[in-house]
This record gives sequence, structure tokens and C-alpha cells, in this order.
Amino acid sequence: MSQNGSNSPDILNASVEDVRYLASLLRGVHFSTAGLTVTVEEARTLVAVAFIFAQVFDDFDVVPPKRTRQRSPQVIEEEDELPEPGPAPRTPRAMQQDEEGEDEVVPENYTTAFQINLNVLVDCLNIFGTAGPVTAPSATTHKKWTKPVQGGGGAEDNQNSDGGEGPPRRGGVNGGGGSGQRDLLPVRLGGQMGDKKTSVRLTYSGDGYPLVAVVTEESGGPTATCEITTYQTEPHLSLEINSDIVVCRIILKSSWLRDAISEIDPSCERLTFIANPPLDPNARRRNGAESQPRLRIQADGTFGSTEMDYPNDKEVLETFDCRQRIVFSYRFSHITKTLRALSSSTKTSMRIDEDGLLSLQFLMPKPHSTSDETDGFVEFRCLALSE
Amino acid sequence: MRFRANIENVPLFFRVIQTLEKLQKKLIIKFTEETMHLICNHETNEGGIQVWSQMRVPSLFTKYRIQSNAKNEITMNLYSDALLGALRSAAANPASALNGAGNTAGAPSSIETDEVIVRLTKKNDQAMLSFEITGTTRLGRLVRVVHDVRIEVLKPADAARLAEPLCPTPNVHILLPPLHKLRTIVERLRPMSNILAIRANSNGHLQLGINTEGVKLETDWRNCTNPSNNDGNEPEDEEDEEDLEERKKMYAVIVSIKSFLKFLGAHQVSTTTIACVCQHHCLILYVYIGDVADAGGVLTFYVPAVIDE
Repeated sequence: MSQNGSNSPDILNASVEDVRYLASLLRGVHFSTAGLTVTVEEARTLVAVAFIFAQVFDDFDVVPPKRTRQRSPQVIEEEDELPEPGPAPRTPRAMQQDEEGEDEVVPENYTTAFQINLNVLVDCLNIFGTAGPVTAPSATTHKKWTKPVQGGGGAEDNQNSDGGEGPPRRGGVNGGGGSGQRDLLPVRLGGQMGDKKTSVRLTYSGDGYPLVAVVTEESGGPTATCEITTYQTEPHLSLEINSDIVVCRIILKSSWLRDAISEIDPSCERLTFIANPPLDPNARRRNGAESQPRLRIQADGTFGSTEMDYPNDKEVLETFDCRQRIVFSYRFSHITKTLRALSSSTKTSMRIDEDGLLSLQFLMPKPHSTSDETDGFVEFRCLALSE
Repeated sequence: MRFRANIENVPLFFRVIQTLEKLQKKLIIKFTEETMHLICNHETNEGGIQVWSQMRVPSLFTKYRIQSNAKNEITMNLYSDALLGALRSAAANPASALNGAGNTAGAPSSIETDEVIVRLTKKNDQAMLSFEITGTTRLGRLVRVVHDVRIEVLKPADAARLAEPLCPTPNVHILLPPLHKLRTIVERLRPMSNILAIRANSNGHLQLGINTEGVKLETDWRNCTNPSNNDGNEPEDEEDEEDLEERKKMYAVIVSIKSFLKFLGAHQVSTTTIACVCQHHCLILYVYIGDVADAGGVLTFYVPAVIDE
């Protein structure tokens, strides 16, 4: 591949004016389709994928490395500082091992992938404290859930499993976004920064080169050049949901799910989803007093259990399609990893197949987006606990 | 040996001590006729950061009286948290609170402070700095609170031995961006690295960088001001051609991020900060307190370089 020094064209060259949306997607963990896909994995059980569409970026070019002459149109001035890939001298801080980032870019089927430490990237984007979460969408319907791109990238999103930060963050999930100290500041700044935008340009020149992010604070402010060491990708856990054997599909407002999950005591160990098909299979939905709840979330822990039932109401469960009674349990600590993405999403699509593989897709509307753009989304896929 | 003064600007005094208190437990204060010196020079404090500061008496005190056998200077050693406690009590004062000091001063007090007097006293053979706070309650009653801060008066000979660290002539002087912005950035860097490289040139370019196995990150400011040196260290006004080369040369010093963050704690008192890079030796930071014009005082931080790679 392109090993000829900084002459080689960058394989990836992308920039965005407002870093906040990008950061919130990454924080939630995943963007994709003809854009960027970021995948993280935990415990070989949970996979999260963020799909970042190329439209999210103001410009987005992927140049397959074969054609060496071609230079992408905009090259920012810092580019000549492309570093020699030599590893830096200092010992790395303890960083989480369970995260893998992967970028895939797909113009004409060309893709490139690498692994990075996602926390570092998120921290870099937020270096000026300006990449706070986009204001959590209110409960008002923003956009219809666009049918998930047919299994296509099957995106599962796992919450950014912030490596070292200890217990599952569940505290401040309300409104603004994730908890954890890193987020508190941005929440505050995000509010007062108004229209100020921090822009970022990402470039990547190929195997062995770092991912370069140039973050610029608005108008003559400082710029930060981050070169993040990339690693070769390791095989991913492949959890594809097969739409043929999906037995349950639910679409609901994210706030309904967020409130439920953040209500559960963190000491709980397992979370069970129970769904029942409508009583009368012919009349396919509704009515009458049903003794069985349509959707029940049950949490079990050392100190007891919690059950939450969702009413059979169009207002709450916008789509409810369940072929057979299902009862599947998941490790609660895995489910809580979705909370950050969940909090900044508007709608959630939940699918469970007959083996219990859970897919949660969170729709992340781009702020001030103009109509047609496809929203980014984050998908989490999680294996059920085996009994 | 006599000393007494009215503290007029309690919030400022409070914030300065608050900044220093994070550096080390004990603090040396030297009062002279014109200035108050605050010194943190413990060899043992973490990272070896030292602070030598001077504040002009009129910016803090009125009715200032000092008298001693050693050229009317008094030098004392005291615990900074005790001093901070006394000042916190005095600062809980809505009337004179200069912006924000009230917040940091703990529980809101229902007392309005009228006067804060500090004097040198002796109780049971123990030298004290005694803070006498007179206030009025909401009901109009007079309240008097006295804090005695135990001190140890240094002998003039010992005091004379205190000396600022010797540093080579700095390679570069540069005006730092607002410290609270720097702090945001450096806080992001701390989890990634233990050391931080600070580079600057005489052409308004300042750079903070870290370089680890996982990430290389450089933050640049290109429009900083280089204060002119009147004492002629770098007479750089005329001969532009070669001079430009020289001015663009970056000088670097590597410091511990922890130490640098401690210095950044001074963001709450700073207005203007000048950094001086002595390549591979140390970083000197002059934090000006209050208006530059009126030059209420300067905190000088010496941050030693970390020898690395």
C-alpha cells in the first residue's frame, strides 16, 4: 500500500464543520453506509456499530491507494505535518482493550479499515470542550424511523464502552446525554456555546499511518492536530441478525426505553425482555383486556426484581410485531452500555430473532438537517444469556 | 516586631491563597513595607513546582503598619489551609464579594463583613496571625469573629537564605491564551499522557503537545503576543531577514502534566499570563493579578523540566 511517505494521497479525507454531531455519534458508537462505520465490541457478546453517512461530512473523499497521483481536492494546511509513523516514546496509559474502531469507506466498493482507541478519538474531538452532546432530542417526533438499511451493514451499536471508567454509568442519563465527568463539561458548554462550531478534518493515509484529526476552534482560535495510532484490524465478532428469523420487531420513542432502563437499579444482573403476540392472531392487534402484557422488561438482581410493562398503545409502541411469545435475558451491564446512544436518539428499533439475538437501533437525527439526508444511527447487537 | 493591617480585598487574597494551597501545605509569607511575598519553595512538593509571588500592599491592605528589627520585614511560615479557613470566613461577605468569590467561599453567610483586621499576636508564647472579622448580622447586631492562625516566624538569617531558583535567560517570552481555555485542553490530555511538551517561538506561535504510543496530539495557537523585552534580551525589532528565522525557531520544554495543571489552577486569579521557556530547563510563568496597568501583583511559577527521552 501507500508507503511512499507523505506523498501518497490520503485514503480518507473528510471534514465536518460542527464536530458535535460527529462526537455524539461516536460517543454513541457508530455511523455508516457510504461513510464511516465504527464498530466496538465487548466480551465477545455485544457489538456496537455507528454508521456515519458521508453526508454528515461537508466533504468526504476516499481514494483507493492504487492510484497514486490523485490528490483529493481540499488539503488542509496542516497536512504536510503528516508524521512519520514511528511509535511514540511514552508508555501508553491504560486504555481499554475492548474497543475496536473500524472505518469503512465505500466508494465503488473500496473499503479500508483500521483500529484505533476510540476514547482517544472522542477526547480529541472534544479537546476544546466544545463537542458536547447535541441537545438530546425531545420526545417530539422528529423523523420517521427510516427502515434500517436492510441488514446491509447490520449495525449494532454498543455504547461506547468507555474502557476504564468503572461501573456502568447510569447516573445522569437524563436529558443531556451520557454521564461521567467527560460529559458534564460539554453539557454545560454545549448550552452556552450557541452557534460556535468546532470543525474537524480527518485524514488517513493507509496502513501504518496514523489517523489524523485536525480540530479547529472557530475563527482564528487554536487548532489541535491529533495523530492517533492505528492498528490492523482484528476479526470482529460477527453478529448478523437474520431478518427471516426475527420474531419480534418493536419501534418506540427512545425516551420510553431510556426512562425504563435508567430506572433499573445498577446492581441488577440480568434484564429480560418478554413480548407476547396479540391475543387474537386474526385481529392482529389491539383491544380488549389482555392479561398478558405486550412488552415487559424485567430486571433481576441480588436484591430483588423489577418489572415494567408497556401498555398496548400506539402512542408508546409505534410498531409492535411479534410472532410468538419470547423471553430472552441479557446481561444488564451490556444493556446499560446503550444508554448514551439511547439518550441522544429519538427513536429506537428493537428486533429479536428466534435465537435471542437482540438488535437495538437508535436513530440519531442530525441537528438542523435538511429533509432528505439520511440520519446516522447506532446499532447494538447483543447475544442472549444462555440458560 | 509589630504588624497590623486592614484587609480590603478579601476575595482576591482568598483566591490567591486558594491557588497556592493546592501546591503545598506550608507557605512562606514575607511582609515588607511595600509588598507581600508569598513563597512556595518546598523541595518536596510534587513535581518540584515553585511559586514566588509579590503583591503590592495597596492592592490588598489599608492601614498597613509593619515594624521589625530586620529592615521592617517579617517572614513567617504557616499552614496554607489554616490561612485559607480564616479568609474563607472573612470572604463570606456579600457586600464586598468581587465576582465569584462568594461562591467559593462556602456556605453563604448571613453576616455582612464590615472590617477585617490582621495582626501579629502572641498567645501562650505562640506567635499567631490573628484575623479579626467584624460584621453585622441582618438584624443589625455587631458580630466579631477571630481566627488565630499559628505561624512560625523565621529568623532574619533564615529569611535571607531564601532565594529564587536560578534560571538561564529564557529563550522565548509569550503571552498565554486565557488559562481556563488551556485548562480545558490540558484536562483532556491528562488521561493520555503524563508529560506535556510546551513549545513556543518569538513569532506568536505556541504549541502544547503530547506524544505517546497511542496518540500524538499538538494544539497550536498562532496569534499569541510576544511581549517586548525592555531589558534587551532579544533586540529583535530591526533586522528582519535573519531575524525572522530566529524568531520562528521553536523552543521546547517538557513538564509534568500534573504540575502544569496545578499552575492552571491560577486561572481564577489571572488576567494576563506570560510564559517563558528556558529550553530543557524550566518553564517560568508570570501570572499577573488584577489589572495589568495597576499591577496588583505577580505570581511567578517555576515549573521544572522533566527529563525525558
